[in-house]
Amino acid sequence: MPTDKSDLLQGTLDMLILKIVALGPVHGYGISLRIRQISKEVLQVQQGSLYPALHRLEKRGWLTAEWGESENGRQAKFYKLSPKGRKQLQAEESNWERLAQAVTQIMQTAQ
Amino acid sequence: MSWRDFFSFGRSSAKKPARDAQLDTELRFHIDALTKENIAAGMSPAEARRQAQLEFGGHEQIKEELRDVYRVQILDAAKTNLKAAFRFLRKSPSFSIAVILTLALGIGANCAVFSAIDAILLKPLPFPESDQIVKLGQLRRNAKTPQTFVAPVRLEDWNRMNTTFQAMTGYYTEQESETTGELPEKVTRALVSPRFLQVWGVAPAIGRDFTIQEEHVGGPDVVIISDRYWRNRFGADPQILSRKIRVGTDSHSIVGVMPSSFHFPERDVDLWSPIPVDAKIAQIRDATWYFVVGRMKPGVTVEQARANLATVQAQLGQQFPKPDAELEVLIEPLKETTVGGVRQSLWTLFGSVSLLLLIACTNIVSLLLARATQRQHEIAVRYSLGASRGAIVAQLLTEAFVLAVAGAALGLLLAWGAADIFRALAANLPRIEEIHLDARVVLYALACSVVVTLLCGLFPALRGTKRGLSGSLAQSSRTQVLGRNRFQWLLVGLQVALAVTLLAGAGLLLRSFEALGRVSPGFEFAHVLTLHISASWGETANINGLSQRIDRILDTIRATPGVENAATTMTLPGVPGEFTTDVRILEGEQDPSHKIVAESRFVSHAYFDTMKIPTLAGEGCREKFDAIQVIVNRSFADTYLQGQMGIGKHIEMIGNSFLKSGEIKGVVADARELGMNRAPAPTVYWCWNAPSPDPNYLVRTVGDQPMTMAQMLRQKIHEIEPGRSVFDITPLSDRLDDAFAENRMRTVLLAFFAATAISLACVGLYGTLSYSLTLRRREVGLRLALGAARGEILKRVLLEGAGVAALGCIAGCVLALAFARTLAGMLYGVTPYDPITLAIVIALVLVVALVASLIPAVRAAHVEPMQVLREE
Repeated sequence: MPTDKSDLLQGTLDMLILKIVALGPVHGYGISLRIRQISKEVLQVQQGSLYPALHRLEKRGWLTAEWGESENGRQAKFYKLSPKGRKQLQAEESNWERLAQAVTQIMQTAQ
Repeated sequence: MSWRDFFSFGRSSAKKPARDAQLDTELRFHIDALTKENIAAGMSPAEARRQAQLEFGGHEQIKEELRDVYRVQILDAAKTNLKAAFRFLRKSPSFSIAVILTLALGIGANCAVFSAIDAILLKPLPFPESDQIVKLGQLRRNAKTPQTFVAPVRLEDWNRMNTTFQAMTGYYTEQESETTGELPEKVTRALVSPRFLQVWGVAPAIGRDFTIQEEHVGGPDVVIISDRYWRNRFGADPQILSRKIRVGTDSHSIVGVMPSSFHFPERDVDLWSPIPVDAKIAQIRDATWYFVVGRMKPGVTVEQARANLATVQAQLGQQFPKPDAELEVLIEPLKETTVGGVRQSLWTLFGSVSLLLLIACTNIVSLLLARATQRQHEIAVRYSLGASRGAIVAQLLTEAFVLAVAGAALGLLLAWGAADIFRALAANLPRIEEIHLDARVVLYALACSVVVTLLCGLFPALRGTKRGLSGSLAQSSRTQVLGRNRFQWLLVGLQVALAVTLLAGAGLLLRSFEALGRVSPGFEFAHVLTLHISASWGETANINGLSQRIDRILDTIRATPGVENAATTMTLPGVPGEFTTDVRILEGEQDPSHKIVAESRFVSHAYFDTMKIPTLAGEGCREKFDAIQVIVNRSFADTYLQGQMGIGKHIEMIGNSFLKSGEIKGVVADARELGMNRAPAPTVYWCWNAPSPDPNYLVRTVGDQPMTMAQMLRQKIHEIEPGRSVFDITPLSDRLDDAFAENRMRTVLLAFFAATAISLACVGLYGTLSYSLTLRRREVGLRLALGAARGEILKRVLLEGAGVAALGCIAGCVLALAFARTLAGMLYGVTPYDPITLAIVIALVLVVALVASLIPAVRAAHVEPMQVLREE
């Protein structure tokens, strides 16, 4: 595995999944693909973390899932954001912003 | 753990295969997509797939993790909780042992009494569809006489004319002798009318029921024997049907053996034989000697049967105006007549053990509360780690449940161990042989532990996990402790109150028991032996011969060295057994609205001398007489003869055509013939030594040890009556004790429960006081440092304990007075509101409470102020 790929910060995977799913119904493979593409291959999600996370979020009621046909005509499980998930995403986003700012601040001023 | 998880548990396991397939599809889709990606990047298909799988990671491992997401945590949580509970309980053994022992006592006593209630009152009688079986009797209309034997011919009429019964049957028992061997051996034989086994719905285990020929005069003599007799007398011989036994003078073929569970009408019945339904005496409408039972048709209620038989009897009344027009039919469920008498005693005991269990629970609540205070830190930590309140409560409840189950298990062991004691105490209860610790009792114990868990565990758990309390651990714990302490004192007061209630009940029973012991019975029972001699009712056919035989036996007994006197009586003096009759005085006008109701007793010559009942006027029963003689007691003379002795007047028993009128020959003093707890009733003694072929023989002996005479008496009687067995040789004092066995049982048990209750309450008082003083060591130390005298501290603590106990006593008295009425029927010589009993109970409780407070008080007074102040 290339060394320029970073591991995800603990707890951020859920937020990323929610964010991606917020763009529209998508299956597991699609999520991992988008994370890779958007992060320009920096973030690599392990499938061993992705699927348990997806199912956990579904169980909590933040995601809803439906079986549908994929682009190439195969059965795939599509995930969608629920209203509850949307609220959660907002909360996590603002939380993340504060955290990121704080971290950046420290990194800059402590130099 | 939440309710949703709990419900999804059911769903998730049901849909498991389907979900697994879905997981597979979902994961495979991903791998396929990766493979395609790799092919697009220029790999060979095989290589692309291998890479994809490599990148994807362990397929099965992921699936397992996904399954974990859905695996409902309830079982895991329960397991974790259980583990934690065991760890916690192991870590604090003295606490656990105290709780388990307390519960074992509470639940054990409860289960023991429940097993008795279940077997005696709740379970149906051990016959198929036993609720269809009723007891029937005939009663003279408007008579005070509860004389319910039925004439055989009337039974046959009822059986033929009714529409609500499948069958009815009659029976009676007698003690006879089996004379095949060298010495006569007593056997209990039930003589039964046709349809006997049909009514019970029980068939012989070996052999057959009686045939119609056998139920008629001149038919073959046959018996069915009991399982017990088959085993004891014949060694369970499989060829039993070819054997014969000799009862009295007649030989009988054995045609069947009943199953071991069947022992009706008496526990120790050995034989059943048929009564000829066409015997001459069985056709007399006044000859009443049957006990009657019947099996109602399915779906028929007792009321319907009662109405139906009333109609039948009315028809008979038209057909046979005398005596049937005067009669009515009594119907009572058999179970009621069997166990109805002990219901009140048993439920009283159950009430008292339930109070005991309540005290035990209260005790445990305060222990758990104290515990929860100590664990505030642990609970606060768990909260901060994100545990939900539900989870913590669940864990605390699990602990309580583990304790409760352990207590219940130990309690069952205790109950099992105590079963023998209980059976010995309660030997006279009906159905006592059916009491077992069976699955129902175990289930009951389990139910008890669940209730105990909720009762004891819920409140401390909810209180202990209040966020306000445990979240702010750092805040002054002293104020909270005070608040909680107040509640704990309330619990102690409650325990004392309940214990006082139980003690008051036990005290009342004990005082009645003691009062009974002090009663002067009016006869002397010491040194008197009672015995029976086997005989058959058939002997009543020659009534004079029977009377002469009994006189001969009495003469023989009297001639035995060491015997002072001897007599027979129909009913033992002092043993409850009524024979209330309507009588008429032949001389003078009688006001029909003033009936003369008297107890009738049949006694032989020398009865009053033997029992040392003084003769007030006239004479006692003479040995030889031409006309029937009657002796009345003082109450009778006072009530019905206007205080005159009335000697020379004649008395007739109404409704008894066999007994001629008798002349009053004397008046004797009142005696408590009906039982020590009953005032003497107006009584008519009929001088008749043979009211039954086997009356009670009373033998007044000279020595202090009447039982040493038993062998000699047996031998002397055997010499003149070689074909009869002598049995049940027992001192009269034992028979009197037995008569009050139920009374004794409930007194002993209630006293035991009350003693346990007050001990538990004291442990609660001691525990709470010690605990509150531990929390206040600092305060005590400070007071001492500021110059308080140690005596002052001691006094304060003692007063604190005594104060709570006193308040508990007041509440307990209120409760005791409220419950007093339930005991009213069981008391003798004290009122349910007896102030002396209450005063003694309160004094006792206060003294015990002071003793329980003494140790913590002394300990508190000896606190070293410097040491304590340095500790914190």
